[in-house]
Amino acid sequence: MRFIVLGLIIILLSGLPAMGEDNDKDLESEISRLLSDDEPAIQTTRQGGGYFQSLNPDISLIIDGFYHGDTSREGIAHIFEEVSGFGHECAEGHEHGPDKGFNISHMELYFSANADPYFKGWGIAAIEEEGAEMEEAVIQTTALPHGLQVKAGKFFSDIGRLNPQHAHSWDFSDQPLMYRLTLGQHGLNDKGVQVSWLAPTGFYLLAGAEAFQGNNETMFNYLGTNDGLPNKPGPRVFTGWLKFAPNIDNPNHAMQFGIFAGKGAHQEEHDGNTDGTMDHWLNGYSKFYGADFVYKYDDLRAYGKGDITFQGEYLQRQKDLTVKSHDLNAALIGKHKMEKQDGYYLQATYGLFERWRIGLRWEQIGLSNEINSPDGTSESPDASSRMSLMTDWSLTEFSRIRMQYNRGNYELSGADEWVNEFYIQLQISLGAHGAHKF
Amino acid sequence: MKNKYLCLLVIGLLVIGLLNIWAEEKKLNVVTTTTDLKSITESIGGDFVNVKSVCQGGQDPHFIQAKPVFMTWARDADLWIRIGRELEVGYEAPILEGSRNPKIKVGETGHLDASEHILLLEVPTKQVDRSMGDVHPLGNPHYWLDPYNGRIIAKSIAERLKKLLAENAEQCRGIDKNCNAFIKKIDEAMFGAELVKEISGDKPASSADRLWELELAGKLDEFITETNTERKKQDKPSVTLGGWAGKMRAYRGSKIITYHRSLSYFANRFGLVVAEELEPKPGIPPSPNHLVAVIKKVNEEKIKALIMENYYSCKAPDLIAEKTGIKIVVITNSVGGDESAKDYVSMIDNIITKFVKSMEK
Repeated sequence: MRFIVLGLIIILLSGLPAMGEDNDKDLESEISRLLSDDEPAIQTTRQGGGYFQSLNPDISLIIDGFYHGDTSREGIAHIFEEVSGFGHECAEGHEHGPDKGFNISHMELYFSANADPYFKGWGIAAIEEEGAEMEEAVIQTTALPHGLQVKAGKFFSDIGRLNPQHAHSWDFSDQPLMYRLTLGQHGLNDKGVQVSWLAPTGFYLLAGAEAFQGNNETMFNYLGTNDGLPNKPGPRVFTGWLKFAPNIDNPNHAMQFGIFAGKGAHQEEHDGNTDGTMDHWLNGYSKFYGADFVYKYDDLRAYGKGDITFQGEYLQRQKDLTVKSHDLNAALIGKHKMEKQDGYYLQATYGLFERWRIGLRWEQIGLSNEINSPDGTSESPDASSRMSLMTDWSLTEFSRIRMQYNRGNYELSGADEWVNEFYIQLQISLGAHGAHKF
Repeated sequence: MKNKYLCLLVIGLLVIGLLNIWAEEKKLNVVTTTTDLKSITESIGGDFVNVKSVCQGGQDPHFIQAKPVFMTWARDADLWIRIGRELEVGYEAPILEGSRNPKIKVGETGHLDASEHILLLEVPTKQVDRSMGDVHPLGNPHYWLDPYNGRIIAKSIAERLKKLLAENAEQCRGIDKNCNAFIKKIDEAMFGAELVKEISGDKPASSADRLWELELAGKLDEFITETNTERKKQDKPSVTLGGWAGKMRAYRGSKIITYHRSLSYFANRFGLVVAEELEPKPGIPPSPNHLVAVIKKVNEEKIKALIMENYYSCKAPDLIAEKTGIKIVVITNSVGGDESAKDYVSMIDNIITKFVKSMEK
């Protein structure tokens, strides 16, 4: 699989120099035109001293701070760790959720520019209070023929609708549980390569395949040669997705549908008797599949009044693991652990007034929730659900104030707990005027 | 043996014939960002082009989304035409990138910025930042509302279409012909057919350039008086300034109010003075205290008309009208934004007719 992907990339990249030939033809016709043609009829000067040069990269900075309150005893992050069927399985996968009180999301520093006629690149540094992380570092082709595009580096997978979106472009202050509790806080973001193809069809059809190194802490965890776990060289995670949009002539309406799937190696280590030392190790794979849709109604009025969006996603994941070593109960070595969980969310926003939106989100996780443990026991805990209400005011395109209320019912090892959450969020964006993706 | 050569010859001729048909049938796919650019491109490209516009008539060009369907259009496009000056900054890049079409990247022959060759207004001469609202640092992008700029856009489009159709001389001649006809249409609408005929006779339309030169230099009225003195000597009837220029002469120097800073070029061409905008700063909706100031200004300076695009809410303008008696002129600044704005010329005509009508009331 790896070699096929690498081979494909080499073939695609070797197509790049061929693109130069078209330019030669343009040049040729331009020279012949310049030699034969007269001056244009009207000569005008440009005010302001000619073109604005943009050899420098687009630079922008997102600052996103919020106040958070919730009614749980130990904080909402703690609740997320305990949700039946979704609890974290690896020592380093520590959930750090919003604190009660003031919070600041990572500061997003973005650089983007064309490198040359063949490549563009961008880098996003996620700067936190404690230090900086590389959120994205991407090299992307810009001149491949036949609707092809290759992206390499570290980036968000294009699966689903919210996964490729950065936190500041979400319609709600927080991530849907479906993402948060399966792919984790950062979604599927990893080092890898993506090949995508825009089909020459009458409607919009985009197909993509991705290979990732495989370092997602919650679904594609890799511990390496740790206590009997096998060594697996990367790439260890592969995904594929399709995005489809029908052609709608009416400028009021637009919609897009997507399906996606992925599979990759997964390893876990556990502390069975909670004494602080790991005592059993599992190896295997996890896989997921899902679907997403979005419908947008554009009322064509200024400042977004009357606009509506509907959006929803479903994801199901499955883990299939084998116990590789067990310090407490050697009899379990070689036994299987199987888990299946799913989740969805549905959300809508409406432009109530100019620049004011209201939003409603409903989500459920664990509708199918099966846990088959290595010791032969199995359980299927109940689902958890959450409802969110949001209102935001975008003073301009560059600043936004948002309030959100969540009421969640979480299934925690047999008992359920109601938690209310409250957000007041303030976001600003500085620098280059970013374009909005659909 | 002979048969074989004959066969090759026939096949060769067939291939050449087919290639010819193909060359003649070749239509350029053009995607424009606005309907005004679409209308001009259709006038000039005629049968040689298929044109689609991202923005629909009557849509605020600032708030367009990069919908997937636009990417399929851009994927098949030979030419992408934009207004430029950052008007499309919110959606152009994702569409061009999403189209995976290297032919229409910025800087390629397949990418035309129609603001090339335009004399831009309101280019900031001192440092700007966003505390001044959503100012366009590259100059005001609403330049298509000046019919003189319509001519320049037409010429830029004609040049680019000819470059793309360079292999077919006949099509290039067709483009030139269409371009001249379009410019003549603008000139006649601007100055009246009579005056255009007087100055250019049976020569091609571009010879009416002189009328524009005179108008731009503020010497057109002088020229008409001179011409009429000359004609009187020869016992010919006198000519008058017709068209938009003729209709708008009476309102030269009149103060108007606009909603957004979008009518600067229109006002500049017809000698109107934009005294105030309803948006306190570009892109910021009217606030109560700003409206109070506007009402005061309208009363003090006796401003007669408020021109606004039909996609803005009438609430604030109605309030001002109620307090001051100012005439509200609701226009569309794009082809298709209104039933009577069928093409570029009728779109401009529409603004002028509505303005004049409400001023005469």
